[in-house]
Amino acid sequence: MNSFTRWWEVVRREFLTQVRRPGYWILLVLMGMLAFGLSDGSVTIASGGGEAGRPHLTSVFGQSRVQAVLIVSVGGLFLAIFSGLAVIRDIELRVGEVFHATRLTVREYVWGKFCGGVAVFGLIWLLYLCTSIGFNHILHGGKGHIGFFSLANYAFPTLLFGLPQLLLFAGVPFLIGIWSRRSLLVFLFPLVVLLLTFSVLTTWSPGWLSPEVNRTLMLIDPSGFRWLTETFLKVDRGVDFYNTSPLRPDLGFVLSRAAYCAAGLASVSVAAASYARRLATGASDSPIVRLFRRRRARATAGPPSGAPLRDLEMATRPLGFARAAVAIARSEVRDLVARPPIYFFVPLILLQAISTTTLGYGYFGSRVLLTPGTVADQQVNTLNLLICCLLLFYTVESLHKERNRGMHEILHAAPVGTGAMLLGKTMGNAAMAGLILLAALVSGAGIIVYQQIVNESPVGYALFPFVAVWGGVLLPTFAFWSALVTAFFSLLRNRYAAYGAGLVFLMYTVFRQETEGTPGWLTNWQGWNLVRWTDMGAFTLHGTPLLLNRLLYLSFVPLLVAVSVRWFPRRAFDAAATLNRLRPRALALGTLRLLPLAVAPIVLASLLFFGGRSGYQRPGVNDWREAYWQRNFATWDGLEMPSVTHVDLDLAIEPAQRSIAVTGAYTFLNHRDQPYEELPITAGRWGSIEWTLAGEIHEPEDRANLFVFALDGPLAPGDTVTIGFSYDLERHEGMSRRPGGTSQFILESGVVLNGFEPTFAPVPGYDPDIGSPGFRGPEIEDDFYLGQTEPLIGWAGRPFTVRTRITIPEEYTANGVGQLVSEEVADGRRTVVWETDDPVRMFNVIAGRYDVIDGDGTTIYYHPAHDYYVEEMSATLDAARKYYAEWFHPFPRSVLKLSEMPAFSPGAQGFPTNITFSEEMGFLTQRDPRSHLGFMVVAHEAAHQWWGNLLGPGRGPGGNMLSEGMSHYSTILLHEQVYGDRYRMEFTKRLEEEYVSRRRVDTERPMVKSMGGAYNRGSWAMWMLQQQMGRENILAGLRAFIASYRDGPDHPVIQDMLAVLRDFAPDTAAFDAFAEQWFFEVVLPEYRLSEVTRVQEGDEWVVRGTVENVGTGRMPVQVGAVAGERWSDRGDDADRSVVAAGYRDARTEVVLGAGESAEFVIRAAFEPDRVVIDPDVLVLQVNRATATFDF
Amino acid sequence: MLQIRDLVKVYPGPVAALQGVSLEVPKGMFGLLGPNGAGKTTLMRIVAGLLEPTSGTVYFDGEDIVDDPRRIHRQLGYLPQDFGFYPHLTGESMLRFLLVLKGVQAPGGVKHLAAELLDRVNLSYAANRKVKTYSGGMLQRLGVAQALAGDPRLLVVDEPTAGLDPEERLRFYRLLAELAEDRTVLLSTHIVEDISVLCPRVAIMYAGRFVAATTPVEARNRLAGTIYQGEVEQGDLATIEGNYRVTQAILIEGRNQVRIHLPEGPPPTGFEPAEPTLEDAYLLLAQANGEGGSADAGRAASSDVQGEGASDARREGASAGNAL
Repeated sequence: MNSFTRWWEVVRREFLTQVRRPGYWILLVLMGMLAFGLSDGSVTIASGGGEAGRPHLTSVFGQSRVQAVLIVSVGGLFLAIFSGLAVIRDIELRVGEVFHATRLTVREYVWGKFCGGVAVFGLIWLLYLCTSIGFNHILHGGKGHIGFFSLANYAFPTLLFGLPQLLLFAGVPFLIGIWSRRSLLVFLFPLVVLLLTFSVLTTWSPGWLSPEVNRTLMLIDPSGFRWLTETFLKVDRGVDFYNTSPLRPDLGFVLSRAAYCAAGLASVSVAAASYARRLATGASDSPIVRLFRRRRARATAGPPSGAPLRDLEMATRPLGFARAAVAIARSEVRDLVARPPIYFFVPLILLQAISTTTLGYGYFGSRVLLTPGTVADQQVNTLNLLICCLLLFYTVESLHKERNRGMHEILHAAPVGTGAMLLGKTMGNAAMAGLILLAALVSGAGIIVYQQIVNESPVGYALFPFVAVWGGVLLPTFAFWSALVTAFFSLLRNRYAAYGAGLVFLMYTVFRQETEGTPGWLTNWQGWNLVRWTDMGAFTLHGTPLLLNRLLYLSFVPLLVAVSVRWFPRRAFDAAATLNRLRPRALALGTLRLLPLAVAPIVLASLLFFGGRSGYQRPGVNDWREAYWQRNFATWDGLEMPSVTHVDLDLAIEPAQRSIAVTGAYTFLNHRDQPYEELPITAGRWGSIEWTLAGEIHEPEDRANLFVFALDGPLAPGDTVTIGFSYDLERHEGMSRRPGGTSQFILESGVVLNGFEPTFAPVPGYDPDIGSPGFRGPEIEDDFYLGQTEPLIGWAGRPFTVRTRITIPEEYTANGVGQLVSEEVADGRRTVVWETDDPVRMFNVIAGRYDVIDGDGTTIYYHPAHDYYVEEMSATLDAARKYYAEWFHPFPRSVLKLSEMPAFSPGAQGFPTNITFSEEMGFLTQRDPRSHLGFMVVAHEAAHQWWGNLLGPGRGPGGNMLSEGMSHYSTILLHEQVYGDRYRMEFTKRLEEEYVSRRRVDTERPMVKSMGGAYNRGSWAMWMLQQQMGRENILAGLRAFIASYRDGPDHPVIQDMLAVLRDFAPDTAAFDAFAEQWFFEVVLPEYRLSEVTRVQEGDEWVVRGTVENVGTGRMPVQVGAVAGERWSDRGDDADRSVVAAGYRDARTEVVLGAGESAEFVIRAAFEPDRVVIDPDVLVLQVNRATATFDF
Repeated sequence: MLQIRDLVKVYPGPVAALQGVSLEVPKGMFGLLGPNGAGKTTLMRIVAGLLEPTSGTVYFDGEDIVDDPRRIHRQLGYLPQDFGFYPHLTGESMLRFLLVLKGVQAPGGVKHLAAELLDRVNLSYAANRKVKTYSGGMLQRLGVAQALAGDPRLLVVDEPTAGLDPEERLRFYRLLAELAEDRTVLLSTHIVEDISVLCPRVAIMYAGRFVAATTPVEARNRLAGTIYQGEVEQGDLATIEGNYRVTQAILIEGRNQVRIHLPEGPPPTGFEPAEPTLEDAYLLLAQANGEGGSADAGRAASSDVQGEGASDARREGASAGNAL
């Protein structure tokens, strides 16, 4: 038998052994499901999706994206485990010495084991590809995201992305397994790579990242996904390119892939050498592992005592349940502590949890000030998932270890109950989880203290949020999960099957979360997103179902333990007896015996199920919406309603009961030309509503909540009529069915209500958003905006006045739109009356337990513990009110309020005079010496008083930009006004980074065709337009624009704005060219410098070079030769905004279109140290960081 | 009293490891002798409550072990055939852990007791060494120490002397003999010497059945005058084997030391009468139950033997013998 034959025999044997492992079969099923999901479009990876117009899943780019991610996220873990354990298993079975007593060499053996394992995974991957091809081109061949079939589109990504990962994930754990002989260490590698890949390598790409670092990250990302994204997907190439062009890797990337292949193979080679060395020396541990072992002095043998055993007076008194469990637990802890993996896993998990928190950003890229509650909340999912992974590995290994070490018969013959044995093991592993939580608790305190020192944060440490969130959510999850894994092990009686079952259960859970969102209370075993933390009352929204959910999964534990105890392989079952047990009668009897333990889960599940089905998310609760649409769409959609001229609301709010009593009236004015016979009003499901018409009780026709008032006589143009209403409603009645936030609520922690939709107040007319099946309408015509356009936000018609009278328990402060007319407190209730002093288009109500800070015509209402940033916020609000009024339109209202709301509702809403902020915004924004992000958040929301209120944008493409894009543009101006050029540049760079990193180049539409807010590119376009028109011209144009649309009833979009601004443009041709490319097309310049030289000629330095626009768009852009740092980081804001003394620059300007290049010459009286394109940050571009040259 | 009735164990395959064995084991040492694969370990594991039988019952002092194995664990000392320990623990820690789990108590406390037990098995010098550094013999002694610990009413030891050197083996014999004075000790082995030295009673298993139950003395007596020993050239061995029932043939320095069983007739030239050993009886039984076995030989070794408290085993042995 030659060497090849021996090697082949090992390969064949390993292949046949591994292919029978249940884990691989589970992987096969999983891959099959993924293949179907991807083909079906229900599973998407990154931007690969089922939407029309996206790149085909079957293109080489689509397959590359999928394959790059699939192996690292799914296959790597399985591959690493099975590859890493291959030799360990032989060592456990003690077959090594027999093998090596034959002619089989170590090299043949090790390579044979490796190749056999890899062959199994290769087979699964091949089957996955074949299945994908079948699903894609046969089953779903006609779908929009499926293109033509090309075998190369599947094979090439496998070669480029799959093979290197395969060899790496098989090779390195294989080496770790042989070197350490510790199965737990084998899991470390894929886990580390997985975390690194998805938390850093593929996702972390801030705009300031240097190209060199970015390139390095591309090359070290084992998945290759970063390279694919950064090289191809972030640069606009169009859908056709992705669907038809071949993927051409650059040399560096090819070399990096080859390096990964080599690393995998080299690992096997090193493993063979290590194995041979250990075999020769007889050492059982690696040198590093031996470091963990304490050295003891060797004792020498002495003569044993010959005394009889009876002299020892031994007696046996079996331990009780608790003492036995503790004894086992102590042994488990000793075992955990003695083994190295725990020292890797714990810091790793901590690192991940901490980075989740500290690297997190809030709205508009602002850094959030962390409170104990937000730290606990932000880390809970990370800790949850990672500790569950760890518990899976540790629990299975712990249950298997006695069998693994041949000690099971001795232990299992001991007079210790199986229940105590399993509990002891669980307690030991729980101690590990507890250790991690404890470490996380300490690190949480560290984060808070760090903030106090570095960010001057006043937030103190508090234990309660951690105890409430982690204790309440995580501990039941860990108990349930440990019990479940133990039950898997006991039932399947196989280590690998238990791993497979556990991994699939975990992956399915994560998969469902990713595809269907947060699971409901009934099925959310993992506790995913259960708590939405707010310092203003975290458990006021979902307290009861949260408690029941946690109790439910805790109550499963005794049941699972009973199943485990019954089936735990302490006594090897007899096959015939097992078959007998599985007979229906025996099975039924066995189930009956478990019934008492199932009572608690059944009761709790029933409470959640029936509670959820009778609460505000009950099935059918939204059926009325469908009926509303069906019955009314054809009749009432498009009806032009008369204007509401006045809204009168009388609200009695009971936060503790989540209820409100509403009495009110709307006064309608027919501002149109035609009379109205009927007036429709949309109401919510509020039970009994008493209506009045012109002061008389009236019963309108109820058309599925569209109440149609038949008027006594036609409402002639210029006539008015008043419709009144009265009802009680409960918001969030009963229990919810699933966790999550809510945008409007009446809770003890606060009240947030608005009049956008019939939540608490009726809405005039027919609301097309209610119950619409969401069909895709025809493409909106380009000239849709001509004539009168309905409003994007608020009610149709002209602005109206609002009077809001609110009564509420006296500890609450209640705010409405307008100014406070009266306030009184009597009998424990506060009554306030708010009246608008200028007509508005929408209204809202917010209430909470607030502290107040007054500014110059502004007031901020905030949670007493969130006073960290309020002074700056107040100053910003003052500045915004002052300067926006100067620039855009005088502010016609006496007061501008900003009120904080619990984080149940995300974001902010700029209602007239009554802005609402989620606590995550502004109030909890970190101070950052390099930028003023908290300032930005307030400035943006304040700008909505102008852009969104005084100017109500039109409904249709390009409308939202006038709200969001213009608010961001206003914020740029305010930055410049308040803090100077430096901070304006920092801010615009941030907007640019956010735009570049978030844009989907393959689906991006011109702004005039986009329904989105175009926050970043809209504001940038306006900023660049300002450079072209001149500041005063554009501001004058914008003032004219607001003035012409302020009173409606027409509502403008981008084209309307451009039409007004054009009149103020000094060069209309240039204006038109600019508007065409930035508003009607999608362009993005990308500048590159080349052949840059610096020569001294006499007293001056001459810099020459070439600049090329490799992107799109034609813009004038400055090229600067620069010496020194422009800004100093010393001193206060004012100091930091002054150009540093050593800084000098000389500039020239070039105008470059797409693909054009130009040579430039800059003469400077100083020696420049670098060349910078667009030094003043005036042109939006991609890859700004590369548009520099350092001498 | 350990009572085994109609015990059947069929492994998937199917492999019938036990084919309806019955046995009564009173207090004292009882040996189970049989070749590899005879079903000894299967029987021991069932008795230790670690393996579920296909059918049959096992009672110890009137308590049903099959129905509830926990009943036996309270009074069991068990040394399996193959075993290991937590490698990261020292011998003393390992033993202490097991003593705690078993609920073993002693006047000086568990730590002191562990030290004493390690001393009894001559492991004191390695008490603080990690188990992973132990040799096979040391592990076996540690196993013995944990099995002896406490006051087990039933001691089940499966191949206990495997891996022990002669000195340690003798020490173990002494310990077992002491324990067997007032409790039941079930010892399984294929080393005939263990049985000869230790067991007043022995049952011989073959292919999942008891083929004999006897005492070593009776087994030897039954063969008295039928065993002859002589030296045979290598070339003549085949002739002797063809004409006589050879119980043992050992090649020493080119010549075979051969023992034959000859109930009647004159022995071959050069063969002298020899004292029968238990090994002769065992090997004759093994040959009788194996392929080409002799019914006479089987009867000689089994059917005529008498064993106190071994009526079922006797019946099994008789039936096996008669079947041949």
